Amino acid sequence: MRSSLQAVALWGRKAPPHSITAIMITDDQQMIVTGSQEGQLCLWNLSSELKISAKELLFGHSASVTCLARARDFSKHPFIVSAAENGEMCVWNVTNGQCVEKATLPYRHTAICYYHCSFRMIGEGWLLCCGEYQDVLIIDAKSLVIIHTFISSQSPDWINCMCIVHSMRIQEDSLLVVSVAGELKVWDLSSSINSIQEKQDVYEKESKFLNSLNCRTIRFCTYTERLLLVVFSKCWKVYDYCDFSLLWTEVSGGGQFFAGGEVLAAHRIIIWTEDGHSYIYQLLNSGLSKSIYPADGRVLKETIYPHLLCSTSVQENKSLPFVMGYMNERKEPFYKVLFSGEVSGRITLWHIPDVPVSKFDGSPKEIPITTTWTLQDNFDKHHTMSQSIIDYFSGFRDENGIAVVTSSEYVPSLDKLICGCEDGTIFITQALNAAKAGLLEGGSLLKDSLPQKVLKGHHHSVTSLLYPHGLSSKLDQSWLVSGDQDSWVILWDIFTEEILHKFFLQAGLVTSLLMSPENFKLRSHQVICCVCSDHSVALLHLEGRRCLLSARKHLFPVKMIKWHPVENFLIVGCADDSVYIWEIETGTLERHETGERARIILNCCEDSQLLKPESVLPVASETRKHKSVEQRSPSSYQFGPIPCPGLQVESSCKVADAKCFSGPFNVLPVKTKWSNIGFHILLFDLENLVELLLPTPICDVDPSNSFYGSEILRRAKSTVEKKTLTLKRNKTACGPLSVEAQAKPVSESPAQGENTMKLSEENDVIKRQKKIKSSKKMHPKQSRKVNANLTIDTAKLLLSCLLPWGVDKELDNLCIKHLNILKLQGPVSLGLASNEDHFSLMLPGWDLCNAEMKKDYSKVNLFSRKVLDLSNKYTSTLPNQAGMPRRPENNSDSLQEPNTIFYLLSKLFLVNKLVNMPLELACGIDSSFTMESVHKKMKSPGNDILNISSFYGYLRNGKSESHLPEADVSLLKLISCWKDQSVQVTEAIQAVLLAEVQQHMKTLTKKTVDSEPVLVAENGDYEMTQILPKTEWAKEPELQCITDTLPLQTPVSPVKHDSNSNSANFQDTEDMPDRCVLEESENPGERRHHLWIAKVCSCKLC
Amino acid sequence: MATVMAATAAERAVLEEEFRWLLHDEVHAVLRQLQDILKEASLRFTLPGSGTEGPTKQENFILGSCGTDQVKGVLTLQGDALSQADVNLKMPRNNQLLHFAFREDKQWKLQQIQDARNHVSQAIYLLANREESYQFRTGAEVLKLMDAVMLQLTRARNRLTTPATLTLPEIAASGLTRMFAPALPSDLLVNVYISLNKLCLTVYQLHVLQPNSTKNFRPAGGAVLHSPGAMFEWGAQRLEVSHVHKVECVIPWLNDALVFFTVSLQLCQQLKDKISVFSSYWSYRPF
Repeated sequence: MRSSLQAVALWGRKAPPHSITAIMITDDQQMIVTGSQEGQLCLWNLSSELKISAKELLFGHSASVTCLARARDFSKHPFIVSAAENGEMCVWNVTNGQCVEKATLPYRHTAICYYHCSFRMIGEGWLLCCGEYQDVLIIDAKSLVIIHTFISSQSPDWINCMCIVHSMRIQEDSLLVVSVAGELKVWDLSSSINSIQEKQDVYEKESKFLNSLNCRTIRFCTYTERLLLVVFSKCWKVYDYCDFSLLWTEVSGGGQFFAGGEVLAAHRIIIWTEDGHSYIYQLLNSGLSKSIYPADGRVLKETIYPHLLCSTSVQENKSLPFVMGYMNERKEPFYKVLFSGEVSGRITLWHIPDVPVSKFDGSPKEIPITTTWTLQDNFDKHHTMSQSIIDYFSGFRDENGIAVVTSSEYVPSLDKLICGCEDGTIFITQALNAAKAGLLEGGSLLKDSLPQKVLKGHHHSVTSLLYPHGLSSKLDQSWLVSGDQDSWVILWDIFTEEILHKFFLQAGLVTSLLMSPENFKLRSHQVICCVCSDHSVALLHLEGRRCLLSARKHLFPVKMIKWHPVENFLIVGCADDSVYIWEIETGTLERHETGERARIILNCCEDSQLLKPESVLPVASETRKHKSVEQRSPSSYQFGPIPCPGLQVESSCKVADAKCFSGPFNVLPVKTKWSNIGFHILLFDLENLVELLLPTPICDVDPSNSFYGSEILRRAKSTVEKKTLTLKRNKTACGPLSVEAQAKPVSESPAQGENTMKLSEENDVIKRQKKIKSSKKMHPKQSRKVNANLTIDTAKLLLSCLLPWGVDKELDNLCIKHLNILKLQGPVSLGLASNEDHFSLMLPGWDLCNAEMKKDYSKVNLFSRKVLDLSNKYTSTLPNQAGMPRRPENNSDSLQEPNTIFYLLSKLFLVNKLVNMPLELACGIDSSFTMESVHKKMKSPGNDILNISSFYGYLRNGKSESHLPEADVSLLKLISCWKDQSVQVTEAIQAVLLAEVQQHMKTLTKKTVDSEPVLVAENGDYEMTQILPKTEWAKEPELQCITDTLPLQTPVSPVKHDSNSNSANFQDTEDMPDRCVLEESENPGERRHHLWIAKVCSCKLC
Repeated sequence: MATVMAATAAERAVLEEEFRWLLHDEVHAVLRQLQDILKEASLRFTLPGSGTEGPTKQENFILGSCGTDQVKGVLTLQGDALSQADVNLKMPRNNQLLHFAFREDKQWKLQQIQDARNHVSQAIYLLANREESYQFRTGAEVLKLMDAVMLQLTRARNRLTTPATLTLPEIAASGLTRMFAPALPSDLLVNVYISLNKLCLTVYQLHVLQPNSTKNFRPAGGAVLHSPGAMFEWGAQRLEVSHVHKVECVIPWLNDALVFFTVSLQLCQQLKDKISVFSSYWSYRPF
């Protein structure tokens, strides 16, 4: 996902499946993290009353998640690590859902333990990992690089489970593991840190054969420092930690499998099973009875036996297996919680009493379930906010309810969304309007007016769609190919809604439709390839309206399709790593290969460049990626190629994200594994939007003005400014230097035009590249001018999604009236991308997750409480409140709306850029306070910021904005220091948007206060500023102050100015400013309202 | 909607009945069959610690190649470990006979066999969880289970079919070279691996590249079997492979295991296919 992309999820009514495979509660007991078989992580908010609510889904893994663990000292960094079946590892920041670090190693972990020893260790600590490989890997928690391994000298084997023992008594941390074969091994941890760091071999200290298989958990009793609890799938045992002598064995009864256990207190343990039951035992001392254990042959000093105190169980609708955990917190506000996650996606919590007791008669007591929750519950509770993109279809359908979309395809060139439904109908609709209808208030009015087409021809659910023109422009624009569950493939004309031809494949459900690459032609046309669920493959010739080949020999699902244009071969790769080569003309099976040879065939096709990305199934690219990973790692004898289970679009998110799309708006259908539930993601490309919006205002608004000169001057200034920054970052220093700067542009301005390139020679290469890029994009822009309305609409929709509706009712109304945008129906589910293929999506109801927010702002589209503070900070840094996009408004009212939108979007883009800036540039702004270092540090961020701002200058291209670079710099500084305070992009964007909109609306209100009489004078002032641009720029603020006949008093105190770069002050001022905003905006509220009506009227007249 | 799904109510009822039978009876029958096959397969790997106590039995394999008899090896396999090895090498130049054997106290784990065995027991464990008493409620549940089992089985098979691709320095650094008594001469490298059903032993004879040699030095990448002429840097020296000897021997029980893997994979896939026939039901009609 590109950084300038903004994603909004349209979830629909059904929650995506989330089969929990791993679960943990964070140390602050405020969040539950689950990992799923589908590969996503889910963050659930856990309130202080132990209420659960799902907050967001984290996408990133392409295979089932195997384990989760803490990755840092949680109080300092709320990081967790997740590992997947295919060797992927990710470190996530669970407060904002961002992926902090990722790696793919050729190891599959089944358990991870975080270990940090502050006084002996440098760095962020270790992740001790075990899994489907020998012994224990030590991975650096920060970089996810393998540091070393703990090696066993005795019978090395896979390790099943482990635990870290901090023993106060012997002042040594130890690592206890149990291998697959049932061998208990102990490594010294704290005393071997040095040898590990020096890469010396560390062997186990002790090792003992436990005589049971399938160990699930090993736990050390920290209360007695004596007992060791080891849970095997068929029994659990208690050992004496001192000499590893067996104290008790409890065998499971009734076909139950134990899954884990934990020590509750001294001599009290809890054991849970795979089917979701748990048992709390008191370990009693049997006193005098001494017994001899044959395995040891030693007499035990004491023997214990368990007494069942309490038990828990789940409701009847159980599905195996359960993953459970226990959180033992002795501190006051925390609970002792037993938690479980099911394959069905249900989370259940039990609050375990501090002192569990049995009933009076001694029989075990049942502890009731405290809470239980599923993703679907979230969707049901907040279903107004979980609009799906086609929900409005239900409007004209009969009572049966919502059409379930089984496949969908977005055609960017037509802005059409094509949805195939379960009942066989295909809807074609304007995607943007559909999105609006789903998201915005009053969008329901749109429903009736929506132009839509319904194609009826299939009798069973439509399973796959293909729009051939989207892949190859040579093909007919009206064609659409759809395949259904009954093995029918229909060729449609989407404009006339006619069926052009029906193909009957006589195979299974059509799972996917692909098109041959452009270099592969058969009878001078490209062919369509249909992959069916019975593993057969059929080739269709659309022009000839006939089926060319149906290949039915495959025993395993088809994973990969490749084309051999020279010899007319179709190469089919199957899930079992076998390869079938079909001759297309004759329809005969030319060759069938397995194993090594098959791999070679597939690989050599790759080399000869016959493979086009379009022709490969998503999964294919997926597996290829893995192979390359394995080849890269030198001693990768861990696995051969990893088969990805099922031909599924599990990675569709990634694939589509990676695909560069040209438009500013895109709809991404996402299908989930093992189910037909899907949802849509709307993608807005901010950069593209800004570029597209750009030309229209300038060309038409004021072509005669002298903005060219001023523009160049401004740019020149900013470049010079940059130099001054590198020399000395000082406000006073700017003044004189900028005078010099003005001389230069004057001499250069005659040569202007393409001369800008020359100017930019001085600048960084980056900037130039950006310019080239943007100038390239100018060309298609002209041709796309037809879509201007669409672009504006897209921009408006994006603004609607980002605005914090409901924070300030007045502001909402102003926005609706003035910007002509619609209000959201409810908080929107925004996506946040951390890098190319890791991103998070908010779930419906995320807004209720923050406890503090619940009180004041329910149903408010406020991304976090922080936004208000940030927005205040921003407002206070704004140098001259009135100096924004005023001029265009004055010029003509009809034009102000697009201009304002453009202005806002470009601001957002800038913020987005800044916050996404590489960390090295932005870091360190507030890390130290000495002046010198401030100078030093300011260099790099300042440079980059100015690059961006000057790039902006170029983008704006003469749009007469009186932005002082100096003011810019302070704003930019502010924004880039947000980054250090772990402000999310979305938060920053919303904050800036809020501030800018507030400012903007204020100026408008003010203008109408002054209204007609002053207007002339004001205009005069503006003309002056327009004439004057060549004069001293540093004087501009004063000028502005003069023009501000009614300056709105917002806190522009120098004190605050300074405090912005100081993160420590943030907390102190946190409560104050946000009250400020509310008061501020409420004070002039009523008056403004009336004025606004007048304003609107005049607008309409114009 | 119901009318669309099946032509008539009767037809639909029959389909439902059939699907219920599939979930309740057929799936368990297949799972049992799978378990039997996999247990049979895991027996081949002679799991230590399971059932009979005492040392696992030893098997001797005489490795040879059909062509020359320059290298002969007798390897003793004990479960997943090589407990003894005797390698006889006839030097091609002077026909001098070299002989090395494992040190008495050392064993060499064949990681491939260990991994394959562990993968199989993982698969068995997955299946053992769903005994007769367990009722499958949705088809998706079966598919997920089958996917998990197939993943383990494919990995098990791939571990045997695809030996590690090692670079020459990695072979030189491996513990195997230190296993021998007397120690291997510095101009010899030995590697042991499993390829499909065969136990393979490769012996590389090396010679030192002179620093002033005109030969273009290009270090070889990773490979299962390096060819003569492959070069690498080890210590301060640049070395080149002059001769490669590969001898192998079929391990009968590995062959069996591979057959079992293939059969059970097919069984899994067939069960998945059966479930998929009803895919229109399972997704939204849990029983």
